[in-house]
Amino acid sequence: MSATNPPIVDIRHVSKSFGALKALNNVSMSMNLGEKVVIIGPSGSGKSTLLRSINKLETVDSGTIIVDGYDINATTTDINRLRMELGMVFQSFNLFPHKTVLENLTLAPIKLKGMNKAEADEIGLKLLDKVGIKEKAHVYPSKLSGGQQQRVAIARALAMSPKIMLFDEPTSALDPEMIGEVLDVMVTLAKEGMTMAVVTHEMGFAREVADRVVFMDHGAIIEEGTPEHFFQNPDHDRTKLFLSQIL
Amino acid sequence: MSDTRIIDVGEGAAIPKRDDWGLFNAWTISIVGAILCICYLVFFQPTPYRRIIFYLADGVIITFQVTVISIVCACVIGLITGLGRVSKNKAINLLASTYVEIIRGIPLLVQLFYIYYALGRLLNVHDLTAAVIAMSVCYGAYMGEVFRAGITAIDKGQTEAARSLGFNTKQTMFLVILPQAWRTILPPVGNEFIALLKDTSLVSILAVSDLLRRGREFSSETFLYFETFTMVALIYLVITLLLSKGVGIMEARLSHYVRH
Repeated sequence: MSATNPPIVDIRHVSKSFGALKALNNVSMSMNLGEKVVIIGPSGSGKSTLLRSINKLETVDSGTIIVDGYDINATTTDINRLRMELGMVFQSFNLFPHKTVLENLTLAPIKLKGMNKAEADEIGLKLLDKVGIKEKAHVYPSKLSGGQQQRVAIARALAMSPKIMLFDEPTSALDPEMIGEVLDVMVTLAKEGMTMAVVTHEMGFAREVADRVVFMDHGAIIEEGTPEHFFQNPDHDRTKLFLSQIL
Repeated sequence: MSDTRIIDVGEGAAIPKRDDWGLFNAWTISIVGAILCICYLVFFQPTPYRRIIFYLADGVIITFQVTVISIVCACVIGLITGLGRVSKNKAINLLASTYVEIIRGIPLLVQLFYIYYALGRLLNVHDLTAAVIAMSVCYGAYMGEVFRAGITAIDKGQTEAARSLGFNTKQTMFLVILPQAWRTILPPVGNEFIALLKDTSLVSILAVSDLLRRGREFSSETFLYFETFTMVALIYLVITLLLSKGVGIMEARLSHYVRH
C-alpha cells in the first residue's frame, strides 16, 4: 500500500436517497489494488447500495466515485466498458436460465470481448473446474443447487477477468449447508490476490479474509479498521452493540 | 400407473391431464371431424359441395395471405411497441402508449373502414394492402401489450446481471431478456394469431375476396346459403386448428429449459 498508487476505487462524499430514506449519507471510502474490504452492518444500513453504486447499478445523487481512474458518473466514461472490469455477484445468483452453465460463462466474453467460442469454452471450463462444478457445464442452471448456482455466478463474473470483484450478500440466499462451498471459492479467490469488496453477514469470512472491515449504519460508515481491531476492540458503541447482537 | 398421471386437486376430486385421453382430446376430435365432414361432402355430395369448395379455394389463399402477412407485420409492430412501452425514453414511451390506447379504443371493423377508405381511396393503396395494414396496425397494438407484459415479467436481477457484465441496454434486451420472454409471450401471442386469423373474415366487408367474401358471393348467386356457409365454417375451423397446433408445437420446443 504505497502513496504513489492511486486507489482503484475511490468513493468521495457520496449521498443517495430513496424517497425520504437516506440510503447513503456523505460516505467516503477507498480501496487499493489487491485489497479485500468486507462491508458489514444491519439491514437497511446502505451497504448494498454502496456496493451497487460502485458499478453504477445505483446512481448516486451527489459525490464522486472513481473506479480505475474513471469517474463513473462522467458523461465521457463508457460505463459498459468499465463494468467489464467489475465482476458482480448477487444475492439471488441471477444466472441466465435460458443458457447452459458454460454458456452463462461464455456469453459475455464472446459478445463483449470478441473471443472465439473455442477459447471462451476453454476459459469457461477452467473456471468451472476452479469453482468445482466442471461436470455441470452443459446443464441448465435450474438443475443446480443454490450453492452450485452461486459458484457458477462467481465463475461467470471471473470469465471477464475483472480487476475487482463485488459480492452483494453472496451467501444470504443459501441454505446453511451450502454457505461453506461458496465461501471456500471466495477465500481461494482472495488468496490469489483478487481485489474484493464483499457485503456479508459472515463474520468468520470477514475475520479470515478481510484486510479491512467497514461497518455501516444508517447510510454512513461508523467505523473501519483491520479485523483484529474491529472484532476485538471496536471504538464505537454502535459497533459493539452490533457485534454483540450477531456474534 | 395411471394414478401418477392425474392431477389431484384435493378431496377426492381429480382432473385428468390433457394427454390422458390419448387420441380422444378436443383438438383431435375437432380436426378429424372437420376433415371427415369436408371429405364426405365433397366426395359423396359433389353437387353442390364440389362446386363450392372450388369456388372458395381462391378465398382460402387470400385469407391465408392476409393472415400470414398481418401476423408477421403485427409481430414486428408489436415488438417495437412493446419495447417502446418499457423504454425509459419518455417520448418513445408516450408514443407507444398512445398508439396502444387509440387502437384498443376503436373497433377493428371501424379501423378497417377507416384505413380502407382513408388510405385506400385518398392514397390509392391497393385493397389487399389496405386490409393488411389495418389488421397489422390493430393487432400490433394488442401484441405490443403482450410483449410488454412478457418483458416486464422477467426478473430485474437478469437485467442487473447482464448490465454488470458490461452489456448495454440493447444487448441486454436481445441476448438476455427477450430470449426468456418468448416463453411467457408465446401462448398469448398464439391466441392473438388465432384471433387475427378469425378476424381476417372482417376484411370481406371491403372489396377483398377472402374466404368469407367468396362464400357470400357464391351464396348470393346460387341461394345455397346453408351449404356454402357450412363449408366456409369447416374450412375456417381446419385452418384455425392447424394454426393452434403449430403454436402448441412451438411452445413445447421453447420450454426445454427451466423446469421447476
